Amino acid sequence: MVTVKQVEDDNLVSKGAIPEQLKCPQFCFQDIRIPLYRFSSQSLLDDSPFEGHVCITEDEQSALDSLLLALWEDKMWKGVLRYDVTTSEIKVIFGKRKFIAQLNERLGMDYVPKPEPDKICGQGNLSEFQWTKHQEEFLFYVACGEMAISELIPSAAMPDGALLIIINEIPVEYGHVFLVPCGSDSLAQVLDTKSLEMVARFAVEINNCSFRLFYDCPTAGTSHRYFEACYFPSPLPVELTPVDTFFHEGQRGMRISAVTDFPIKTLLFESNKKFKRMVEVLVEICCQLQEKSIPYNLLISDSGKKIFLFLQMQNMANSGTLSAWECGGYFLFQSRSEFDQATEETMLNKLRDVSLDDEGFQVVKELCCSIADKFVA
Amino acid sequence: MESQLNFNIENSFDSRYSFCARQELDELPYSFTITDPTICGHPIVFASKGFLKVFGYSKDEVVGKNGRVFQGPKTDRKSVMEIREAIREERSMQINLLNYRKDGTPFWMLFHLSPVFSKEDGRVIHFVGVQVPISPPRRPRWSASGVVRNGANMCEEGDRVCGNTNIMFGSCRREVCSDTPVELSRVLGLLASESVLDDSSRERHSLPGAGILSSALNISLGRIKQSFVLTDPHLPDMPIVYASDAFLRLTGYAKDEVLERNCRFLSGADTDFSTLYQIKESIQTEQACTVRILNYRKDKSSFWNYLHISPVRNASGKVAYFVGVQIEEGCKNQDRNGLCPEMRHRSVVGAVKVAVRSLSMGAGPSRS
Repeated sequence: MVTVKQVEDDNLVSKGAIPEQLKCPQFCFQDIRIPLYRFSSQSLLDDSPFEGHVCITEDEQSALDSLLLALWEDKMWKGVLRYDVTTSEIKVIFGKRKFIAQLNERLGMDYVPKPEPDKICGQGNLSEFQWTKHQEEFLFYVACGEMAISELIPSAAMPDGALLIIINEIPVEYGHVFLVPCGSDSLAQVLDTKSLEMVARFAVEINNCSFRLFYDCPTAGTSHRYFEACYFPSPLPVELTPVDTFFHEGQRGMRISAVTDFPIKTLLFESNKKFKRMVEVLVEICCQLQEKSIPYNLLISDSGKKIFLFLQMQNMANSGTLSAWECGGYFLFQSRSEFDQATEETMLNKLRDVSLDDEGFQVVKELCCSIADKFVA
Repeated sequence: MESQLNFNIENSFDSRYSFCARQELDELPYSFTITDPTICGHPIVFASKGFLKVFGYSKDEVVGKNGRVFQGPKTDRKSVMEIREAIREERSMQINLLNYRKDGTPFWMLFHLSPVFSKEDGRVIHFVGVQVPISPPRRPRWSASGVVRNGANMCEEGDRVCGNTNIMFGSCRREVCSDTPVELSRVLGLLASESVLDDSSRERHSLPGAGILSSALNISLGRIKQSFVLTDPHLPDMPIVYASDAFLRLTGYAKDEVLERNCRFLSGADTDFSTLYQIKESIQTEQACTVRILNYRKDKSSFWNYLHISPVRNASGKVAYFVGVQIEEGCKNQDRNGLCPEMRHRSVVGAVKVAVRSLSMGAGPSRS
């Protein structure tokens, strides 16, 4: 049995903020009634053009965007958050990459480790206490629907196969939430198609280019998978870096590209049509990466149109070392001196140090092509 | 609302430039558009005859629309994002882009974008976009540094305008490069009498000092359809620096009647002093507050305003603005999103906070 030593790194403190309720089975959620947002019945089907999706115009805030911002701001107003993240200074680090740095002195200070919960949830009063205590962090559910348009139900119990949106009380940026898939297979450790599809759909319906979604591959010791999201004020460096397409399926099909000249090896997945199939391909690739002990992170940006896959160094302990936003080029600093002294070079090194090497990258690219070919055929 | 928007669009060009300028622009054969970032949706306010010919639209089909309507499924998303960034940062840029004509046929063009600054206060009043049809570029594999180097060798003049490293060059770049600056400078030259064109020579007031909102902020705020205002506490008497169209409809005022004025003009004879005091206290302590206050429209009629005020911070972490969100009580407020009044307040505050968060994000060492 390999013991895992968590790498101590100032910039990773926020990773510890996984609410303990995530470690418990989903049946504990049944009694919690919060708003429910149902997607319209028009799903990301194979043949429907991606961009022609449900009357979402760019000229106006979408319903889902309004809902998320409203509930998040409301929790802030009610003091659920440990601090106001908008008081944290941010800047662009001088250089051509435009890495972004945030000075967040409260991240470490206010963080009080939560007591480890009893491993088996549902044991009478203990779990009830914990649920009541953390219920204020639950924002709303998201589920598929049957109506022609999306609908908002002010209060509902958790439907099957829903996403539970939970506020992150120590946010990295404004609007920081966890998106937790709750279904009968929610205890599975691997990324699955349905969850990724739902989460991508979420990004599409938010329709706000500031909104990014993240996923860090499960590390040893975590028993639950979840996504994170927040609103970043400006483009992330990886989004501004040119790409080199090596897999292209016809005109509007799936496109896989390598992000060129970026310190951490990164792939970009895009698809105008047949989005669902791209999700299937990506999930298959991620499963294989996990089998090969290659840690990875996902970044969904541009309202769901782009999915970046960051590849980290292969290690047998399978402990991921950087979070997805760090891979994307957004770094947090806990002290003023570190923040002031941050240079592009140190950021580049941080990313290079954890990146998969060239050889490994080549193997992964070939893997992508073979998996994509299989699905396209 | 429709008519106000149309009026703004029609007025956008004529209020800034002379009739002669319009006539001369009409005579130019090039394809170009002029857009107004201060109007919600960043619409086209002028489209040249050349543009209408190339794209196959009539003037009425184009004026009032945002440039994205000419994009389509094969348009590269990254290029679109780069254009968006250039608009946000109020700088010139040039990029190959795939656009679509009215009949649906796609074609490649070299798109050049340039901001136009006001002589009075240095803020961006328009963007000029020039479209030069080109043959489809070979998809090159290129690195940023390689392109810039080639660019400098091939075309010196082009290098001046093509300074951006994130550019894809087509196969016929040489002849294109020599034409585009000429076209753009002709257009900008005609607008020059009433505006400033060169980035380096304009005197830019730094935010938030002079209450000037950037195009990026204007565009972001334009997406919020509720009634709200942004006020600047760093300026004397904390004036309104932004007012949403919904606010203007609610109060009956025109935009130029409310900008640069303190909100107190909304109060009247029966407005409660203690409520005003409560607001003042909250602002002074940089706290958010929610009140019910009696306000008056331009036509002197009164309404109960369910008002929420919140400080909004920029990248420095300090308060840059206050946002005030108004909900008229009693009126059948059809909120499309199904949110109750308090939640509607919050959603506006959240959206404004996201929009303002990126402002004044300096590069290099932080300034406290």
